[in-house]
Amino acid sequence: MPAFQVVEIGGLLLALGVLLALVRSLYPPVSQQLRRLLAAYRERVEADLRAEALLRDLLTESEYEQLRATGYLEVCSRLCPGRLYRIPAHGGLVGLYEDGVLVAGLCAQPQTRIPGPDVVALHKLMIEGNEEEYLRTANHLKPWMFYSARRRRY
Amino acid sequence: MGRLRIMSHRGDTVVVWDPKKAEAGDPEALEAVREAERIFAEERARGATAFAVKPGQPAQRLEHFDKTADQIVIVPRIAGG
Repeated sequence: MPAFQVVEIGGLLLALGVLLALVRSLYPPVSQQLRRLLAAYRERVEADLRAEALLRDLLTESEYEQLRATGYLEVCSRLCPGRLYRIPAHGGLVGLYEDGVLVAGLCAQPQTRIPGPDVVALHKLMIEGNEEEYLRTANHLKPWMFYSARRRRY
Repeated sequence: MGRLRIMSHRGDTVVVWDPKKAEAGDPEALEAVREAERIFAEERARGATAFAVKPGQPAQRLEHFDKTADQIVIVPRIAGG
């Protein structure tokens, strides 16, 4: 890297440091707010990492690969042969398929806030172990609403 | 080792116990089992659902705490959106 660029970057960092010190000394509330924001952000990142580790633990290698490659996780029904659920990786409606045909979009959400990967795990566990209640609780939306929700999201 | 994992906004909280030691009457292991059992009951009372999970097998819903389970995952109550 040329010497003048090193000096430029060094100067910029120094200016940024001086600016931050000024803000901190002149506006303590702003500095406290920034610290709180940073702490909240760090907490959220750590929660996401823990949730991702749990999801990875609950899925087989091929399920995890499918989720990463396609953006959804497929779970077969234990009640009804030919029925399949597609759980989106990043939120939205769960697709309910009968013999390969989309018949409904299911909307069910946890009542307390949990990280995104935990939501995927929650849907999978509920479908596998508590399918009847899951179907009873979720709102069943028409297939066209499923597609329009996807379009809005992506 | 048995593990109880409770989902929350901070990711999951884990409680671990040793079923063999608990079986043998080890006081620390028994205390860990009691703690896991207490959390299980508390979360169930709040409307959460518990599942016993084994690698490569579908999850099984649990009505009562099972200290012999390898892993129990507790998920919060869901509502139609």
